[in-house]
Amino acid sequence: METPLKIDFDKGTLILQNVPETLETRLPDLRWDERTLTFRAPAYRYRHIVSQLRAHDIVYQDTARQFTVEAFTHQHPMSPYPYQTEAIDAWHANGKRGVVSLPTGAGKTFIAILLIADTQRPTLVHVPTIDLMQQWYTVLKEHFGQEVGLYGGGYHELKDLTVTTYQSAVMHAPYYGNRFGFVIFDECHHLPSDQYQYAAISSIAPFRLGLTATPERTDGKESRLYTLIGEPCYEAKVQELSGKTLSEYRVVTIAVEMEDTERVRYEEARRTYLNFLKQERINMGTPRGWHYFLWKASQTEEGRAVFKAYLAQKQLSFASTTKQEWVWKLIQRHRGDRILIFTQDNDTAYQLGMRFFLPVLTHQTKLKERNDFLNRFRDGTYSILVTSKVLNEGVDVPEANVGIIVSGSGSVREHVQRLGRILRKREGKQAVLYELISKQTGEHYVNKRRRQHHAYQSSNRTPNRKV
Amino acid sequence: MLTKDLLRYKTQNGQILPQFVNPADNRLLGIAEQLIAVFEESPAKPRATLLESSKHIIDSTPGTPIVKRGLEKLLLDRTEFDTTPNEELIAFRQKLFTETSRLLSQETFENYADYQGKVLAESQPEVDPTDGADLTAKLYADLPSNQQVLTFKTLSAEHLLHRYNTAQVQGLLLHSNSLTLKLVDAMTAELRQLFKYLRFNQLLSTIRKAEERYQITVDGPLNLFYKTKRYGMNLANFFVAVLHQPKWELTAEIQFRNTRWRLSLDESCGIKPISQQFLAYIPEDIQLFQTMLGNKTDDWQIRPGSQFLPLPGDLYCFPDYQLVHKSGVETAIELFHPWHQGHLIARLNTLAEQKHVSLILGVSKALEKKPLIADALAASAYFSQFGFTFREVPTIRTLLPILNALV
Repeated sequence: METPLKIDFDKGTLILQNVPETLETRLPDLRWDERTLTFRAPAYRYRHIVSQLRAHDIVYQDTARQFTVEAFTHQHPMSPYPYQTEAIDAWHANGKRGVVSLPTGAGKTFIAILLIADTQRPTLVHVPTIDLMQQWYTVLKEHFGQEVGLYGGGYHELKDLTVTTYQSAVMHAPYYGNRFGFVIFDECHHLPSDQYQYAAISSIAPFRLGLTATPERTDGKESRLYTLIGEPCYEAKVQELSGKTLSEYRVVTIAVEMEDTERVRYEEARRTYLNFLKQERINMGTPRGWHYFLWKASQTEEGRAVFKAYLAQKQLSFASTTKQEWVWKLIQRHRGDRILIFTQDNDTAYQLGMRFFLPVLTHQTKLKERNDFLNRFRDGTYSILVTSKVLNEGVDVPEANVGIIVSGSGSVREHVQRLGRILRKREGKQAVLYELISKQTGEHYVNKRRRQHHAYQSSNRTPNRKV
Repeated sequence: MLTKDLLRYKTQNGQILPQFVNPADNRLLGIAEQLIAVFEESPAKPRATLLESSKHIIDSTPGTPIVKRGLEKLLLDRTEFDTTPNEELIAFRQKLFTETSRLLSQETFENYADYQGKVLAESQPEVDPTDGADLTAKLYADLPSNQQVLTFKTLSAEHLLHRYNTAQVQGLLLHSNSLTLKLVDAMTAELRQLFKYLRFNQLLSTIRKAEERYQITVDGPLNLFYKTKRYGMNLANFFVAVLHQPKWELTAEIQFRNTRWRLSLDESCGIKPISQQFLAYIPEDIQLFQTMLGNKTDDWQIRPGSQFLPLPGDLYCFPDYQLVHKSGVETAIELFHPWHQGHLIARLNTLAEQKHVSLILGVSKALEKKPLIADALAASAYFSQFGFTFREVPTIRTLLPILNALV
């Protein structure tokens, strides 16, 4: 009797033995590995390979797959909104793969929960931050009433429902990549990065879901996202849901004058920085411009002085005295509201925290206190939270209705994410996002460019779009 | 290791050339000594104070700043800071923020000073109510800049400069997808260490012999499909073992700043090994094995693997143990642990047609449990004759019958 073809999982890849010659060229990404004298394929090709074997009626022995059907039961059944049902149907129609793009606050997590129950496979959820890991852990535990595993941030426990960070998954997927049939990538625009993509490559999971508000990447690598997770299958934009499932919102831009002394220091530092760029012929508009500037600046004493000047002008535009005065005015104006204050860097966040005696949540905040800050903000004990970038993504603070952007990276993605923090629907809630922009600085021009994004456009409603 | 911005290199004709420092440069040795002294005195001081002192040395001594900052980074890697949460301060913050939230939500203020005054009044007795700066200083006094140094693992200035040069290479290898190593006159104990590092770092290797030299290509499973830097950290760690070899040549492709470069190095780079080498050390498992074997028989002597073993197909392996019978018959044992699945499949395939035994295969029970392996072992005529399984370490009871069948 002929020995059957065998498939097994090995450190993020598939090993195939006894492959008939006729199949060698037909199976996607199958290569002969001289190091181990076997055929090998990336683990994410598992579904394609098995489909091909079935299509060709080839008998095979599958020891790669280490998961079975698991029933996950809702503890608190809830009905999805029509657009959530559309998204779920679109994902199923796409072969149980694909990327769903919805604005923050539109209930992406709820869609994932419904799909976990539908799919009935052990599920691994990937998230970019520890805060999100904790949040998913709580939500999954509540919804399914069973133990949930955590992998990353000091935890190493695998369960049928497990939440991991991208960073941890890159390290460990080569060992557990065959234990899950369904993988979810939250904030999946992170996945195509050089390293994170191996979290998806090293998994055999046939069912894949990507969740994001903004799949587009400045490096254009979203196509990699679609290769590893599946094509985009559903998209709805923020204006389409504003007032329905998201709160009504407005964005208020406040152009802030610097004080005279700060203006002089800003101009001087800016001139030093720009002169250096000119002298060294560094074009900051190119992808390598920033790295080249860093490298050049690190080479000499003069370069280091220029780098300090660069930081000084940036810091002055980010956190001028006038901006701080505006923060004070806005805090006073929104007495009784729940306010999130965003900054570009930790220094500014702590500067504001120390000036106004406010809780500051950054990557430096220890997990226990971080959870305490978020819980107290949610229950209203704290009415204001200052943060740098920790709350940009995913973390659910639906009670927030006012955002104050003191400084930011200037990217559209960051802006949309920050806007998303205050958009979750509450009865009668009117969300407002303030941007404090220093006049006649680099910030002013970045803001002008950013305003081209649809989140700033008038809310002419377009129907939800299946893509 | 050094971060990207601290790497020094030149590029020419497709080559990337790390810029090493001269470990015998007296001026640089002096600066290294000053930096080390600052770090040695740092325990119980806050991080900010330590960094201020080292910055003073970096700014006030001659020489390239990037080199000095690199030395500082390597010293920081050897420094442990107290990161335990300050519960008292956390409780103080909780009390204060509850109060400030109440004030800001419910009360109105003439101006900021009015607000500050009320906050100060509420934060007694923990802070001086007349001094706003006191409260500001206390509020986030547990930020990293205030963390205290617990310990610093000191080293000599010369060793630091060798570490710096090693880190320059490691920093580039982080951006590599594979490396090729050519070894001449390899000494057995050093080789054993090399292969321990290789296996420990979960890397795959292909060993071939060319022009009287062993050529070892080192990479990871996914390298077959991608020019990936996925194993860069493993390769960088592996480089430490390369430095122990008496004669070596290393080449690697470095994908750095969107360009591919070739890194070529050999022992003439002069970097001294930075890790300890226990050449005379006999690992515990070998000692145990030796004792157990000695208790059962005087016919066989066991010693750690010490040379490459030729395999069919122009391949080589580096066995874990070598055994010699009093009659002169020699054999070797290669052990396969749960994480060596790919290696074992390869070995079984290589030896499938072998008639003359050169290698005994020991397979851990945990690995044997995997269905693919169980099937492969059951189907292997070679393993049924020259293989055994073990739990933690091989036992003489299972091994001796195989050994005795060879003589």
